[in-house]
Amino acid sequence: MNPAATLQNYLVVGAILFGLGMIGFLARRNFIIMFLSVEMMLQGVAINLVAFGRYRGNLQGQAFVLFVLTVAACEAAIALALILMLYRSRRTLDVSIWQELREPGQEPTLDEEPLPPPPAEPPLPKLTPAGVEPRHPQEPSHV
Amino acid sequence: MLLAIVLPVVFGLIGVYLLLPRVRPFPTIWGTAASGIALLLAGFLLIRGGMAVPENLLFYCFSAIAIVSGGLLITQRNPVHAALSFALVVLSTCGLFLLQAAPFLMAATIIVYAGAIVVTFLFVIMLAQQTGWSDADHRSREPFIATVSGFVLTGALLYLLQQTYAAPRLHKLLQQAEAALGSDSPTAVLGDGDQFLADLHREVEQTRGLPERGVLLDEITNARGKWKEWKDSKNFPEMRAALHRIVEDGGKATDEIGSLSPQEVTREHMSAYSVLPKGNVLPENVAPLGRTLFTDYLLPVELGGTLLLVATIGAIAISGRRMMPAHPSPLPRRGEGNPYVTEGKP
Repeated sequence: MNPAATLQNYLVVGAILFGLGMIGFLARRNFIIMFLSVEMMLQGVAINLVAFGRYRGNLQGQAFVLFVLTVAACEAAIALALILMLYRSRRTLDVSIWQELREPGQEPTLDEEPLPPPPAEPPLPKLTPAGVEPRHPQEPSHV
Repeated sequence: MLLAIVLPVVFGLIGVYLLLPRVRPFPTIWGTAASGIALLLAGFLLIRGGMAVPENLLFYCFSAIAIVSGGLLITQRNPVHAALSFALVVLSTCGLFLLQAAPFLMAATIIVYAGAIVVTFLFVIMLAQQTGWSDADHRSREPFIATVSGFVLTGALLYLLQQTYAAPRLHKLLQQAEAALGSDSPTAVLGDGDQFLADLHREVEQTRGLPERGVLLDEITNARGKWKEWKDSKNFPEMRAALHRIVEDGGKATDEIGSLSPQEVTREHMSAYSVLPKGNVLPENVAPLGRTLFTDYLLPVELGGTLLLVATIGAIAISGRRMMPAHPSPLPRRGEGNPYVTEGKP
């Protein structure tokens, strides 16, 4: 049995994170979640690089991860700016609305099942009726 | 051995497929159960940790948290929860960095991604519709094909890792040697002993990540040189002694395949700053990392700075414009719905 966590253990974790991130990017339709999935793929790659750096006994892996971080920061800035622009023009974060950019002969992908209606809004609180105070009959006073 | 990869991959596929958001979701319990089975199987079959030393336990904890919150990130319907899961992924990855003797990277990752997560939160609060159903959050795009392709990729990577680092042929040869050691006549079990030793020599040379292979190779070469002499004179005790040494050292070496305490340090194409001393990589490597960056990687560091500047300018240029459209857009505004719904009609 291995005495400690070994190179292949870290590589397995990196591969699983990469695969999950890929599924998230392919299957989800929210721009923000797609962006987070890509960042998770980068995390999987970073784990691999650091493990190889330690396994080889040098610092190249860590230096590479620093550059990955730099590029990830740039990517985050550009991606969020693009998401903002796309949201401004269509008022939705759904990526499928952009399938109008498809090729001319291509059929659109249609969602067959309609969304259920939004939940009914909770009833407004009943206020005590307010208005002009009715005239109270004046009772004559007897002294 | 193939089953060890196929089982967790198939269970993970089923779990993620059932958990992905759709308009009529499957019961959460099934997806959760399948994913939990996949995680346990992967822990038992793929990541054989061994002794319960703190390093192993921490590795198990951090990787389990990372994978579970990664799964939550891709299956959560609410983007705020997804951003929180991403924060957990980043934190546990930072724990793994710390286990791998990379403290500076841990700090840098926390700082950079903390900023990224805060900005993402702002975006979610600003843009996402918090109430009701939305196309973005309650539908998936081709969930089956996406899940299958992702898990096929993961399974292929795991299979490749298994083939590279598990060294099944070397284990088989060593088992053969052990069987010969226990029998009355080693030559009867091994058959052509010279061929066996040649195979063993080749495997030891080719197995990746094998520490201390020099000693083992010397022993095998010695045994090869004298094997014929021993065989002719039927000198079984000497044969057994040589095989015993090979089995013992081979067993020790194969236990340490992929060990993170490197014995041989690669020095090619690097200045002295990039190479750490032999043995365990010291955790105090922040200053050497800085020296590496500003000697071996000076040009990439400058390019990285330029890239950051360009990205900042680009982000401002993309998002800074506040032009109103000159003519009303033919596409729906907020609340008008998705034009790509057939409303039940195919």
